[in-house]
Formats: sequence, C-alpha cells, structure tokens
Amino acid sequence: MKALEEFVSLLTRLPGIGRKSALRVAYHLLRTDRAFAQALAERIAGLQDAIVFCSICGSYTETDPCPVCSSPARDRSVICAVEQPQDVVTIEGSREYRGLYHVLGGLISPLDGVGPEDLKIQSLIARIREGGVAEVVVATNPTVEGDTTALYLKRLLEATGVSVTRLATGMPVGGDLEYADRLTLARSFRGRTKL
Amino acid sequence: MPFSSIRYAAFRNLVDAELDLAAERVFFVGENGQGKTNLLEALYYLAYGVSFRGQVDAEAVKRGAAEFSLSGRCSEALSDSPILSEEVFVSWAERVKTIKVQGKPVRDRKILVEKNPTIVFCHEDYSFAAGEPERRRFFFDQAAGLISLSYIDTLREYKRILRQRNAALREGRFDLLDLLDQQYVGRGIELMAARRRLQREFDDRFVLRFEAVSLLGREVRLRYRPSWSGEEGIAEILAKLAAKRSEETALGTSLSGPHRDRWSFAVGAENFAATASTGQLRLVSLTLRLVQAEYFTEMTGRLPLLLFDDVLLELDRSKRRRFLELIPPAGQAFFTFLPGEPWEEYRTDSTLVYEASDGRFAN
Ligand SMILES: [Zn+2]
Repeated sequence: MKALEEFVSLLTRLPGIGRKSALRVAYHLLRTDRAFAQALAERIAGLQDAIVFCSICGSYTETDPCPVCSSPARDRSVICAVEQPQDVVTIEGSREYRGLYHVLGGLISPLDGVGPEDLKIQSLIARIREGGVAEVVVATNPTVEGDTTALYLKRLLEATGVSVTRLATGMPVGGDLEYADRLTLARSFRGRTKL
Repeated sequence: MPFSSIRYAAFRNLVDAELDLAAERVFFVGENGQGKTNLLEALYYLAYGVSFRGQVDAEAVKRGAAEFSLSGRCSEALSDSPILSEEVFVSWAERVKTIKVQGKPVRDRKILVEKNPTIVFCHEDYSFAAGEPERRRFFFDQAAGLISLSYIDTLREYKRILRQRNAALREGRFDLLDLLDQQYVGRGIELMAARRRLQREFDDRFVLRFEAVSLLGREVRLRYRPSWSGEEGIAEILAKLAAKRSEETALGTSLSGPHRDRWSFAVGAENFAATASTGQLRLVSLTLRLVQAEYFTEMTGRLPLLLFDDVLLELDRSKRRRFLELIPPAGQAFFTFLPGEPWEEYRTDSTLVYEASDGRFAN
C-alpha cells in the first residue's frame, strides 16, 4: 500500500515518532471521522502561514509584533533572553514574568561551530540602545553552553549599563526549560541572581 | 539492593533462563568459558547499564541473535516480600539500549547507579595499579560518583567544557576562551576539592588493609597530585591558563586541568609501582576495591553489591584467607570459582552454589 507507506515514512521524520507510533497514527486516521482528518490536514498546511516570528523579539506569533511586544501592560524595563521561541511559551505559562523577551536563536558552542555572531545579539543590543531597559534576565538552560552564552552576554552587555541576571538554580542541573514545571519556573524568576 | 532473581535472553553464551539468587552469597563454580563471568556481567549491566569489561553493547549479544535482554528483581532486603521488589530491565535491540525500572524508562544511567550501587572486583582492575594514569582517574571518579551523584554531574560538565574549550582552541576563538576558562576552572576546582577529600579518606584505610593482607612491613601510601597544584585560587589558575594560551592554541588542546591529575602509590618517596611485584600490584587493585566498598557504606549508610570475578585466584592461600576476612558487609556478594579452588571452605549456610557448564547453571 503505497499511500500508507509514504505517509508513515513522512511521519517518522517528526521528532519522537518511530515507525511503530507512525503506524498507529496512520491506522487511527484511517478509522477516524473524515471531518477530523480534513481539519487536521488543513491545520498542518496552514501552520507556517498562521504563525510567524515576531520582528522585535523573535518569538512565535500570529500578529507581528507579538501580543507581548505590543502590550502596554508589560514591564518594558526588563528583557528576558531565551534560546528558542518555544521557551517564551514555557515562561509565559508560569505567569510569573511580566517583562519582554528576546529569542537568541541558539547557544554559543564552539564544538558545533556556533559563535556569538550566529546568535541574535546585535538586535538585542539595538533594543537596549533604544533606552528604557534596566535589566536583562538570561534564561538559557543550565547547561555548559547555556552558561557560556550567559557569561558572554554579561560581559558584552555590562558596557551598556544594564544589569544582567540569570534565572536562579531552582531548576534541576541539566534540566530543560521545556520540562521545568510552572512552580519551579516561577521560583526561578523570583530568585534570579546577578551575574 | 540485593537481587532475588535474574532472567536473561540471548546474552553472550548464556542459555536463556531465570535464576534464583535469593541468598547473601552466591557462588558460580565452573571451568573457564562456561558463562560464570558473563553472568556477573549481566548483573553489572542491571546495576550500571554498561559492561564492566568496557565493551560495546553489540558484543554482549549472543552470536546469531539480534538483541539481548536482561531483567532482575531486587528489593531492599532479601527477606522482603516479592510484592516490594522492583524489576530492573536492560535490553539492546536495533542499536538502541533500553533501561527500565518497574516498566518506566530511565533517561540517565546515574539513576540506576543509585538504585543498585555495585562494586566489581575483576582482572581488569589490575590496571588501577599498573596501568595508565587514566585508569586510576577512572577508579577514583567512580568511587566518588558512587557516593555523590553531584560529582557525576560536575565531572560530566567539566568534560563537556573541556571539549568546548579544545574546540575553541583549535578554532582560535579567543573571544570565547576567557569565558570558557572561567567555567573550566570553576568546575575543575570542584573536582580537585572532591578528589583531595577522597585521597584523605582513602589513604589511611588503604595503608592498613594493604598491610593486613600483604604483610609487606612497609607503608604503601596513596598520593594525589592535581594538575593545578602550585596555584591556590581561581585567579591564579586563570592567570596560568592565560600564560599558556599560545602553547595550547598551537597544539589545539588543553594541557592542564583535572583531566591530567595524577594518582599514585608510594613507599616513602618512591613510586611503589616501579618496584612492586605483579602479585603486590594485584593486591593494590583488590585493596582499592575493598576500601571503596567500605567507604561507600560509611558515607551513605547503604550496603553495596559486590561482584568477585575469579580474583581470589590471584592470591596465595594465606593471603586469600586474610583478604576474605577484610571483605566489608555487603547487601549481596557474588563470586566465581574454578572447580579446583577450595570454595567449599568459604561457603556458609546462607550460600547459594551454582555449577556452570556450557552456559547453563545448576544447583
Ligand atoms: Zn515580540
């Protein structure tokens, strides 16, 4: 069955999906309501048009600038620097943080050939130069690369006069921001430390 | 935690079976090549998720089979009801190793290490006394890691930083080296402090036990010489790294740090390994394991599992007896013997004896 084989082989290219689960999904879709399959297909096709990167902070959004960047209720004196767009979603979920964001788009890692010039650091400095920013919270994961990136930002940004802090280590060492629970994240924000 | 049973399928030359292990001491008696050591290795796999022979997982699959699986039941005490026991499962199939405890996947091997702290006494340990410095670092890192999971974290982080730093040296990323040096020295001095503590804790114990078995009449002491030994604080080490930077950049590798620390054994000012006999060096490695087991219990209040792979064979009759008297309390101990050894003398009422032949075990 060529159609089934092709579908399964495409599914296995998704993260966390092996052949077994791909087959389960395929058989489920064969049995399911036609309208559901149709709706799912449309959402998949439309996802990349519906969601774009915010031109200011780089997070995922349906409107540009994103709701956080355009909200008058947010604290504009604090910018939280994160590795990837999904980290913004995680931190928003904790409801502890009321400031703005900046997505770096990676972490410094000489082993992978990633240097500071590959990250969105210049646009962060430009945002700080516009004025009004007093603090940058570095919320990279507590890994070796996350630490290197935080240290780099601290050294670079000190010259601009802002205070650079890091999320407190309420998070498990080597733990992923993505997997940290809301309570832990909230605690991390309250206890952030000056770098 | 003691194992009450083990089940194995397509593991090395073992014939698929389930064995009852519910005894404080379990002896496996048989000629070489009959599966005794492979059974110990299976137990080690359940405790550490890897082979103690330092081999790749694929080697452990029975010839002609595609995958192996192991499962063991363990509980805090052998007398516990089976309902309180937990199942540890390790399999290797299609190049993927799966480790589960009570059916739940284990993401990090260190969780396993904490559950079933195990110390193996084997031939390969000889290299702790006579091999490369790397082998001694391995031993002491393992001893420290068994006591403190945070030591394992720090060591992993240090190794990761070391690789990042070496990459930065090779690429000439001077803008990043200052930052990496801070991380490097930070983790490095944590490791050094833990190793210094370990040396203090091991030294006297080692001297006493080695003498008790060897009757050498001279003190054999444990020495630890950190790579950053002349420097005191972070600032001084950072300055030293800065001074050596051009040399390190030329070679593209880190020339100093805990990965270059040295452990050695000394009699007075002399290196013991240089003049010791093979028998004495074997005893050095066995004594290290004894101290490791004893120190582990003292620090954690827990009893380790002990695996002895043919090591008594390496000692003469009187040393063997003295050595056996020094074995610290264990949650459970497994021994392998050749049929000619006086294993009958060592058994007690609570000893379970299996005879190994052609990958089968019978009692
Ligand atoms: Zn935005």
